[in-house]
Amino acid sequence: MNSENWAKMHGATVHFPIAMILCSGALDALGFFFPVAAIRRGLHAAGYWMMILGAAGTVPAVISGLVMSKGVMLGHDTMRLHHLFAWPSFALIVGLATWRALASDFTARKAPAGYLVAAGFAAVLVMATGYYGGEMMLGH
Amino acid sequence: MFFLAGLAAGIALASAYGFSLGLRFIESKHSRQQPTPEVWFETPTPSSLTLVSQGRALFLSSCAHCHGADATGDEGPDLHNVWVSDRYISNIITNGIKHEMPSFKKKLGHDEIVRLTAYVRSLE
Repeated sequence: MNSENWAKMHGATVHFPIAMILCSGALDALGFFFPVAAIRRGLHAAGYWMMILGAAGTVPAVISGLVMSKGVMLGHDTMRLHHLFAWPSFALIVGLATWRALASDFTARKAPAGYLVAAGFAAVLVMATGYYGGEMMLGH
Repeated sequence: MFFLAGLAAGIALASAYGFSLGLRFIESKHSRQQPTPEVWFETPTPSSLTLVSQGRALFLSSCAHCHGADATGDEGPDLHNVWVSDRYISNIITNGIKHEMPSFKKKLGHDEIVRLTAYVRSLE
């Protein structure tokens, strides 16, 4: 498969983890403040699975991105900005998903505030990564 | 738990880096270019209108016959919108590409390569 097809593959794989990570953070934040316990548990359970699926979804996104750029981890200009946000967000998402998976006591219960702050930070990094990814495709 | 989360994040990044090294190794087998190692903190090539115009003059005398006077490509490739680092550009100018592009190591000094790099960068 040539670089162009890997670029299409990257475009096809990045949106799933972006959606999952952003929704996971939003649902957990909503659950954190929601007064009804049953609904709160449901929101956190959804947030949990979205974080796990989002982290799993970063793997094909990273692989296709690296293959399309022939192994470039940083690059130049907008691509460099894209990567400077992509790598910390990838690490943070994998770390958060591992934390969440291991801490089974808050799978469907109230997530700690520290986790929510970190998930919010991951969401900002993911948005910045997506923004500069879009700039590479459409900004020139 | 925090340690394991950090470990997983580190393993993920290290795996991506290893995969990237593997891809670049495979690419280098099929490429005649001198590899340009990547660095995290890269100093951008100095750029100013003077440097760009000096680079343009050098480009016209040394590069235009292959890349075209407007750098859109002729025998050599189009140089607009290159997604590579300044060091990569200067590495190609300095060392050339075997059987494809001559090395300018002996013809151009460091300052001239900086000017040419500034010009190529200005084509984005």
